[in-house]
Amino acid sequence: MKKLLALFLALLMLLSMAACGKEETGRPLEEVMQEMTETIGETEETAPDYIYYPTSVTDQAGRTVQIQSQPQRLVSGYYISTSALIALGQQDKLVGIEAKADKRPIYSLAAPELIELPNVGTAKEFDLEGCIALEPDLVILPMKLKDAAQTMEELGIPVILVNPESRELLDEMLQIFGKALKCQNMVDALTVQMAAIANDVQTAVAEQEPVKVYLAGNSDFLSTAGAGMYQSDLIALAGGENVAAGIEDNYWVEVSYEQVLAWDPACIILASDASYTVEDVLADPALANCTAVKNGNVHQLPSAAESWDSPVPGGVLGAMWMANVLHPEQVDNWTAKKAVRDFYEAFYGFQYPG
Amino acid sequence: MKHSMVSSTRDKLFVTFAAMTLAVMAVVSLFVGKYPLTVQGIVSGDPMQQNVFLTLRLSRTVLGVVGGFCLGIAGFVYQTVFRNPLASPDIIGVASGASAGAAAGILFLSGTLWITAASFVGALAAVLAALALASVDKTGRSSSIVLSGIAVHALAQTVLMALKLTADPEKELSSIEYWIMGSLNGVRPDALWGNFLLCLLCAAALFLLHRQILLLSAREDEAKMLGAHVPRLRLLVLLTATLMVACVISLTGLVSFVGLLAPHGARLLTGRNHRKTMLLSGLLGSSLLCGADILARSVAQTELPVSIFTSLLGAPFLIWLLVRRARSRSV
Repeated sequence: MKKLLALFLALLMLLSMAACGKEETGRPLEEVMQEMTETIGETEETAPDYIYYPTSVTDQAGRTVQIQSQPQRLVSGYYISTSALIALGQQDKLVGIEAKADKRPIYSLAAPELIELPNVGTAKEFDLEGCIALEPDLVILPMKLKDAAQTMEELGIPVILVNPESRELLDEMLQIFGKALKCQNMVDALTVQMAAIANDVQTAVAEQEPVKVYLAGNSDFLSTAGAGMYQSDLIALAGGENVAAGIEDNYWVEVSYEQVLAWDPACIILASDASYTVEDVLADPALANCTAVKNGNVHQLPSAAESWDSPVPGGVLGAMWMANVLHPEQVDNWTAKKAVRDFYEAFYGFQYPG
Repeated sequence: MKHSMVSSTRDKLFVTFAAMTLAVMAVVSLFVGKYPLTVQGIVSGDPMQQNVFLTLRLSRTVLGVVGGFCLGIAGFVYQTVFRNPLASPDIIGVASGASAGAAAGILFLSGTLWITAASFVGALAAVLAALALASVDKTGRSSSIVLSGIAVHALAQTVLMALKLTADPEKELSSIEYWIMGSLNGVRPDALWGNFLLCLLCAAALFLLHRQILLLSAREDEAKMLGAHVPRLRLLVLLTATLMVACVISLTGLVSFVGLLAPHGARLLTGRNHRKTMLLSGLLGSSLLCGADILARSVAQTELPVSIFTSLLGAPFLIWLLVRRARSRSV
C-alpha cells in the first residue's frame, strides 16, 4: 500500500514538474521576472492572484474600495504615498505621480524614472482628466481630494484616500497598501524597521530631561507647530519638549518674537523646507537674547533625501537626527548616520548622501 | 458766528479726547504682550526686558500709532478729493499693487526687508500706472482716475492670482494669505525708520495742503474759479497720500476699514470738513489700529490678523455714530 502511494506521489510530482516546465517556457521573460520580483519577500503570500483578488480595503476616509485584480497601473497624487510606494518596491507600477516631483531629491536618488512620469497636479489643482487619461487601475490620493475620488469612483476607477498625518496614521496607510497591492511582507519589513528606529530613539533618551525646542516653520520663522502636528510628536519622541505644545492647533500657527523670547527655547530647529537659513536666525537682532541663539544651538532638519518633518516612512529618521542634536551623549552622530544609511539602502536602494 | 465758535471749541474737545484715548492705547500697547515686562525690570536694566521693550514692543506700538494715523488721514484725503464716502486709497489700486508686490517678494526674494521693499514698489507702480492712465483723459475729471484705478486694481489682482497659483501651498501660499490679512507682528525695527520718515514728510505736506484739499472737494468749475489748477493739484495730493499708505501697508500688510472708518467717524463727530477733522481722522485711525493690535496679540495664544479686530471694533463705532446722527436730526 505504501509503495503504491509513493509511486503515485512520484508520478504526480513528475507530472506537475512537466506542467511547470511547459508553462515556464511558454511565458515571456518579462512576466517571469516580474513574478520573481514579486515573490521576493513574499514567502507567505502564496495565494495566486485569482484567489487573492477581488479584494476590498477600507481607506483612511472610511470608504470601502473594491479592487478587482492585482493593480498594474498606479497613480499616486501625494508625495507621502509615492515615497511609501517606492519603499514598498511598487515604483515600477506607477504611471503618474504628483506635480513638482523634480523638486524632491528622494525621486532622483531612489527612482529617477518617476520624474519623467506624467504628473496629475497637486492637491490644490488636481488634474482629474489627466489622471483618468492615464487609465490607472488604482489611484491613491490625499484626503483633500475627496471630491475627485468620488468622481473617479463613479467612472469605475478605484481610489484609495490616505491621510498619513501621524506615525500611527502612516502605519495604517502602509497596512492598506499591503492589502490592496498584495505586498504585506514588504509592509511588515518596513513597519518593523520604522518601529525599531523609533524604539531605539525612545530608549536612548528615556532617562533624559526634555530639552525645550522651538520648531520654526517652512514659511516664516514666526510660524510654529502646535501640539496637534506631526512635528510636535517628533520632538517628543526625540526627547524634546515643544515649547508651543500649549497651542492646540493642528496646523502652522503664527506667534510673535516676544512669545519666542518668553518661551526661551534651548534649541531652535528649522523645518526641512524653511525658506530662510540658520544664519538668518542667528543674525536676527530680535532673537539675540534667546538662549538657543546665544549658544548657537540652531539647526535645520536635513532635506538631502526628503523632508523628515513630514510623515514619510523615513520621517522617523528625523527623530533619530533630532535626538542626536538634543542628546548627543545618548545618540551619537555615528549611530544616527548609520540608521539613516541603512534605512535608505534597504528600502530605497541608494546611498544616503552625506 | 456764535455757532461756529461753539463747534470750534467742541472740535477741540473731540481732538483732545481722541489724543488722550490714543495716549492710553499707546501705553497699554507698550505693556501688553506675550513676554512679561515690568516697569521695574526695564528701569533696573534687565537686558532681556530692555531688549524686548526697545526692539519689539516699542516698534510695534509706534507702527500702530503712525500707521493708523497715516491710514486715517489718507482716507480723509481720498473721501474729500473724490467727494465719495466710499473712496479709499484702495480704489486706485494701491492695496492690490502692494499685495501683488508682496507676493512676488515672498516667492522670489527672501527676508522681511525685501518683502517690504517689493510690496512698496508694487504699490507705487500701481498708483503711478493709475495716475498715468488717468492723465490720458485731458478733461481731468476725477472719474477718470477712479476708472483707471479700477483697471489697475483688476490687473494687479490678476498678477496676484497668477503668483498665488505658482506658490507652494505649504510655504509661500500661506505667507501670502497671512500677509494679505495684515499684521503688526514680526515688524523689525531696522525696517521701520525709512518708511516712518517718508510717512511723516507726507503727513506734514498734506497738513500744509489742507486748504487746497478742501478746495478740491468743491465742484471742479468752482475750484477753478478760485484759482486752483485742479488736475495737477489733485495728482499731487493723491500721490502724497498714496505714498504714505504704501509706506504703511508695505510694513503691515493690508489693514481693512481704518482708512474708511476714521474719516467718517471724524466727520460725524465734527459735522464738518476741515483741518481739525483731518487731524481727528488721524487720531481715530491711530487709536483703532493700536486697539486692534492689542487684541490681535493678546486674545489668543497665537497671533491673529489685525484686520479682524479693526473691523470688529470699527463697525459698531460707525453704527453708533450713524444712529447718533439720525437721532440728532430727528430732534
